[in-house]
Amino acid sequence: MFTTIYPQLIGLCTGTLLLTSALMVWRHSLLASIRLLSVQGFALAALVAVIGVEEGEVEVILVAVLVLLVKGVALPWVLARETHATTRTDEAPRLNPTAALLTVALLTILSYVVASRLLAGIDGVSAHAAPIGLAMVLIGFLLLVTRRQAGSQLIGFLVLDNGIATVAFLTSGGVPLFLELGISLDVLLVVVILYVFAGRMRSKFGNTEIDQLRKLHD
Amino acid sequence: MTALEAGMLGQTLLLVLAVAAALLTPTPWRSRVSGTFCTLLAAAGIVTGALALSGGTGSLSIPTALPLDPLVLSPDRLGGLVMVVVSSVGVLASLFGIGSARVASASRTAWLSMAVFLCGMQLVPAATDVVTFLLFWEIMTLGSTALLLAHHATRGTVASALVWYSAMSQLSFFFVLAGFAMLAGQAGGTGFADLATIDPYSWQASVAFLLLLLGFGGKAELVPLHVWVPRVLPEAPGHVAAAMSGAMVNIGVYGALLVLVRLLPNGPAWWGVLIMVVGGVSALYGILQASVASNLKVLLAYSTTENMGLVFLGLGASVLLRADNATAAADAALVAALLLMLSHAAFKSTLFLGAGAVARAAGEMNLDRLGGLGSRMPWTAAAFGAAAMGAAALPVTSGFVAEWMLLQSLIHGSRVDGEVVSVTASVAMPLAVAVIALTAGLALLTFVKAYGIAFLARPRSPEAKLAVEVPVIMRIPLVLGALLVVGLGLLPGPLAVAVGGAVGPEFTPDVRTIGLAGVDARGIDAVLDPTTFVVLAGLLLVPVLIALFVSARRHPTRTSPLPWAGGGSRLRPRMQYTATSYAEPLVRVFDDVLRPSRDVEVTHVGESRYLVERVHVEQTVSDVVETRLYRPVLNLMQRAGILARRAQNGSIHRYLSYSFVALLLVLIVVSL
Repeated sequence: MFTTIYPQLIGLCTGTLLLTSALMVWRHSLLASIRLLSVQGFALAALVAVIGVEEGEVEVILVAVLVLLVKGVALPWVLARETHATTRTDEAPRLNPTAALLTVALLTILSYVVASRLLAGIDGVSAHAAPIGLAMVLIGFLLLVTRRQAGSQLIGFLVLDNGIATVAFLTSGGVPLFLELGISLDVLLVVVILYVFAGRMRSKFGNTEIDQLRKLHD
Repeated sequence: MTALEAGMLGQTLLLVLAVAAALLTPTPWRSRVSGTFCTLLAAAGIVTGALALSGGTGSLSIPTALPLDPLVLSPDRLGGLVMVVVSSVGVLASLFGIGSARVASASRTAWLSMAVFLCGMQLVPAATDVVTFLLFWEIMTLGSTALLLAHHATRGTVASALVWYSAMSQLSFFFVLAGFAMLAGQAGGTGFADLATIDPYSWQASVAFLLLLLGFGGKAELVPLHVWVPRVLPEAPGHVAAAMSGAMVNIGVYGALLVLVRLLPNGPAWWGVLIMVVGGVSALYGILQASVASNLKVLLAYSTTENMGLVFLGLGASVLLRADNATAAADAALVAALLLMLSHAAFKSTLFLGAGAVARAAGEMNLDRLGGLGSRMPWTAAAFGAAAMGAAALPVTSGFVAEWMLLQSLIHGSRVDGEVVSVTASVAMPLAVAVIALTAGLALLTFVKAYGIAFLARPRSPEAKLAVEVPVIMRIPLVLGALLVVGLGLLPGPLAVAVGGAVGPEFTPDVRTIGLAGVDARGIDAVLDPTTFVVLAGLLLVPVLIALFVSARRHPTRTSPLPWAGGGSRLRPRMQYTATSYAEPLVRVFDDVLRPSRDVEVTHVGESRYLVERVHVEQTVSDVVETRLYRPVLNLMQRAGILARRAQNGSIHRYLSYSFVALLLVLIVVSL
């Protein structure tokens, strides 16, 4: 019974992942992006859980719980807390929403083209969904390039990280628990450090526009 | 464990001790303790090298964490010979450093890098594969760079010299790396034994040969890769310059020997012609620049280019003659090149140590402001004089033996049993003889200038007048070096036999000892026995000297005022020849090559056109290779750099976009 709905569940989870990523490009409000990130974390956890049930491995389900805690709860909570604590400034991206969404579409097409070459030998439902991960990496990168505020950049970075995790889960059928634990804690640490850094920037310059950091060249 | 293995292990242990001594000893004691350990390190190198030279075997294997084979050190006889040479120079330089290193050159960094530098040099010839060779080569280069860095705080010119040195040494490293990579790719392994299986007539071998010639030629200070030498060596303290110019250049020669003797023996004739051209041009250009230089260390630096040019001329002649089947002459040329390397190490290190002693005593390297040091610093003067004779290739010194041997092989080389071996050889050999003759003449002039202007006549500046002899610890290496110069010249027989044995088993030069340690190169019918000559000349000289002495007793010497003082006693030091005026005729003759720029500034007394208050003459000789070859390239690169800076404007977004675009391009290329 599960094997029949398995492809649909995978499709649902990866679809949610791609949708949230695209929405993040569209929305300019930082808080909305954080909420979307939280949804994305839940979707990723659900994806891992589905893979775990399909393969019948308890360890992968534990990984799913871990992903849920870190990417769905902890990271958005840290981000939201910091954002609430400070004066909120909305993002004025370097690319207008229409152009950005068009770019997202192009990047998704590109990742499907690339994946059709790279994953030509691998069969299976999860491998067919792998291009979504690649598309998320590219969308995350797009966010990094087009956003001005340090906080939004951080979200781009997290989308990129989620994309890498998605590709890893879909192609290899799960990551060992300890590895996932290490990676998750790493990302958490990076986010905390970057947030401290953003706080320093705010107290120094009054905002977090990284365009102002131009002195670092000879 | 064989004695050779113990020797190499001893060197690495002494390196650790020397590094520890440099780091832990307090300042007042550092030079003595570290210098002693450096001397011991070099002495261990001499012992190890001598063991390897006499046929000892053994290997030291250093495992690494890298996914490579372990580093294996196992010197063959040729490596042993080079190890002995560089370690001997290392002993002299370290001993001298104990006395001469002060302030910046006695710092922790300086002594630490001295030990690293020495150890790197001593172990390059022990390498048996490409990776080990390159590793110790880089250790040597880094050690010498850090040594030079010691003085950057006090002199502004050090930084620019160091940039030149780093750039040029990395360039030569790149060439060596590329050349070895070419060979290793062809052979399918990095061991020298694998590389030796390559056919020297394949195109890969020729490409590798060209790259390696460029790389090793850069280390051996050949034209056009010599531009760092006249900048770097004058900035280095005496003992460092001695180690670099006396020992490090030999590693360049070792590299060339490795290629031409061990890896790709019996190469095509055009290799020989190319090496001869590079060597001949270097010899002539080096000695020309040296003859007009007025800074003592610049003079010595250019003279190194000359001597290495001669060494490569000999190597090239040996390759050419071997390709033409004139084996006896080819072997003699190879032995001559090695003898030249040995004698150069002896006299050049002594000369640089002498220059270091002069710099300490007079605080001046400009020959135009020196003079009269002979009576003030008799030990230094005697040692410098002996070494200068060696550099000018005068009889009974090592330089003479080596150049004599080279000339013999070139003169006898183009004919075997009265038949001309090839058209190329019959054109190249006489030309090479002419180059060596001109070089020898100019070298004589150069070193007469260096010794005469610095040590004879009257002091040309107050600093030179106040100079005093250096302490005993610095005199010891000077005297040792001078003894080596003369000793190697008096014992050419055993030396040539040892050198001839070192190039085996590939080549077996037919040289033996004759008479009182004389040399007999049987293949080309050349015999030289300087010791017998000296003994005979001494026997002849005794009656002459007695007669002179007796007649001098009979006729007391008359003292008269010097005629050119116009009858008065207004003779002043400024009336003497200076280094610049001594070289003036040469500058005129070689005006086109040297392109000197002169600046004469006359200050008149009051309104008078005829009375002159003072005349200021300034002459600078630029390095044509630098102004014509390097400057345009550097300017071009600078312009490209300015353009490239526009792409790097400090905006994080722009850098992120670069990576994004790069990633997209990679993905698109992959999916095509």
